[in-house]
Amino acid sequence: MKALGRVALYLALTLAALTFIYPFLWMASTTLKPPFEVGTLTLVPDQMTLDNYRTMWARAPFGRALLNSALVATTITAAVLVFGSITAYAMARLRFRGRPALNAATMAVLLVPGQLTLIPLYTLIVQLGWIDTYAALIVPYLFNATAILMLRQFFLQIPQSLIDSARMDGMGELRILFTIFWPLSRPVLAIVAIFTFMGSWNEVLWPLLVVREQHLMTLPQLLTVFALGGGAGSIGVSLASAMVLVVPVVIAYAFLQRHFIESMAGSGIKG
Amino acid sequence: MPSVTFDHVYKRFGDTRVVEDFDLTVTDGELLVLVGGSGSGKSTILRMLAGLELVTSGTIRIDHRDVTALPSRERDVAMVFQDYALYPHMTVRENLSLGLRLRKVPRPEIDRRVEWAGSMLGLAPLLDRKPKQLSGGQRQRVAMGRAIVREPLVFLFDEPLSNLDAGLRAQMRIEIGALQRRLKTTTIYVTHDQVEAMTLGDRIVVLADGRIQQVGQPIELYRAPVNRFVAGFIGTPRMNFVEGHLGGDLGAATFIAEGARVKLTRAFPLAPESSAVVTLGVRPEDLRLSPADSSERPASSTLLGRVVLVERLGGTSHVHLDVGAHRLMASVSDSALPQVGDHVAVGVPSERVYLFAADGRALR
Repeated sequence: MKALGRVALYLALTLAALTFIYPFLWMASTTLKPPFEVGTLTLVPDQMTLDNYRTMWARAPFGRALLNSALVATTITAAVLVFGSITAYAMARLRFRGRPALNAATMAVLLVPGQLTLIPLYTLIVQLGWIDTYAALIVPYLFNATAILMLRQFFLQIPQSLIDSARMDGMGELRILFTIFWPLSRPVLAIVAIFTFMGSWNEVLWPLLVVREQHLMTLPQLLTVFALGGGAGSIGVSLASAMVLVVPVVIAYAFLQRHFIESMAGSGIKG
Repeated sequence: MPSVTFDHVYKRFGDTRVVEDFDLTVTDGELLVLVGGSGSGKSTILRMLAGLELVTSGTIRIDHRDVTALPSRERDVAMVFQDYALYPHMTVRENLSLGLRLRKVPRPEIDRRVEWAGSMLGLAPLLDRKPKQLSGGQRQRVAMGRAIVREPLVFLFDEPLSNLDAGLRAQMRIEIGALQRRLKTTTIYVTHDQVEAMTLGDRIVVLADGRIQQVGQPIELYRAPVNRFVAGFIGTPRMNFVEGHLGGDLGAATFIAEGARVKLTRAFPLAPESSAVVTLGVRPEDLRLSPADSSERPASSTLLGRVVLVERLGGTSHVHLDVGAHRLMASVSDSALPQVGDHVAVGVPSERVYLFAADGRALR
């Protein structure tokens, strides 16, 4: 009886898992199906073909968009990590006039919805003459309040004696940050990195506003223009472009997954 | 070897006075212990010397060079921290060598010093381990190794033994003392533990509320405390204190408290008939207990007491007594232990008593 209950439980769990994974698998397999098979619910195509990818690649500059997205997302991620941790270090560990105000201001930024700053930011970009430049895509995202606060919270837990010891060993503050704090903060750095990267990679609205030149478009932007603008012509081609968008994020997640688990299992700071 | 001079050093955090007029010279190769309770300012003094805390006013000199405004790395001092402060992501070897690498010491010299420190502290087999793979005592040794490889002008120890268990603490205390005598490096050692202070220090500075109470050799502080605070702080178990006043005839003053009279043979700078409140201090090891009905009476003053608690430690035990309205403690050899409830005669040798004025100052 007990074994039977167990079987039932696993069946239910498998079913639940399938409902999550099935749409994704269906999407992946459909990109490999010829047009007449697209309507079926099977996961294995009868005739496998790469036509959808060929058509997609031929109709719009997806290769270039992929590079644009990679450039924008990695630059933003690197900047958020470097500038964010420098700011967080100062806010957490240095004593200076105005520090509480800076903390409060950073916190306040979180309360402002992104949509509210969209128009003023757009106006600013126009004034700067940055429409249709990489700067428009990158510069507004170089700092991130959430990242700063997450890093600050983590940095507060690192013992003061490590900083004191490093100072006496002859390190300056930047060196302490990058040679002592960074190696000890890998879990939180990984989380900030992956969230920043995914956020930037999936961003559609902002690029749509500031970039019109096709060769500067990011992948999700081009995809939106392509699919919604009727450029795809078929579901198979639309889904193929969606696959191109999603694969890098899945790969990035697979690489950093260990750190997610580490960070949830608690940090390993204690000497 | 260099000396360290504190010239009227003050430290305030906002309105809070942490260190008041700290004025002291630590001589070449000396091991000076700063001892005091929490909030006495001892760690702050060490941190100011290390350059980790700014000085509010005053001057600090190392080897006659004014270092008051210099950053830590230019002071050539090394510190051992209470929690060891080892870099968790580096091996023992990397921990030991980091300070030297940052100072651009040539590689062969770094290797030589790391090997030297490693063998001196018994760390040789551990050099490629990370701190979390080490025991508390081993981490403590790595922290000391990190300080000695730098060959600094001054060693600073900030309560380095307080995270260790009692056995290891005693052992490391001996090792630190031996190491310092061998290297002859000027050392300042901060602790709240007066046993550490007594056993390690060439001289001891007793601090309370950010002020120096007394500076002297350990035995000097024990025998001639300048005030009631030092008398209570130095010596284990703690000195007994009884409040009362002086009375009696000229030339034969007597200390009088409720239920207790002690004849004083020494002259104290206070008129015998003065009604001012004074405190009598006597160390537990100086009290002599004998059965209450015993015919042999010591030559000193004798009080009558009742035993309320006996703490058996093996060897010497602590006997707690009620004498009149006062609770006293006596250290007694185990061979002559009374029982709880026994009435005993408590001999107070008059040459061993201390007298303190109402403001805490010792009367001599």
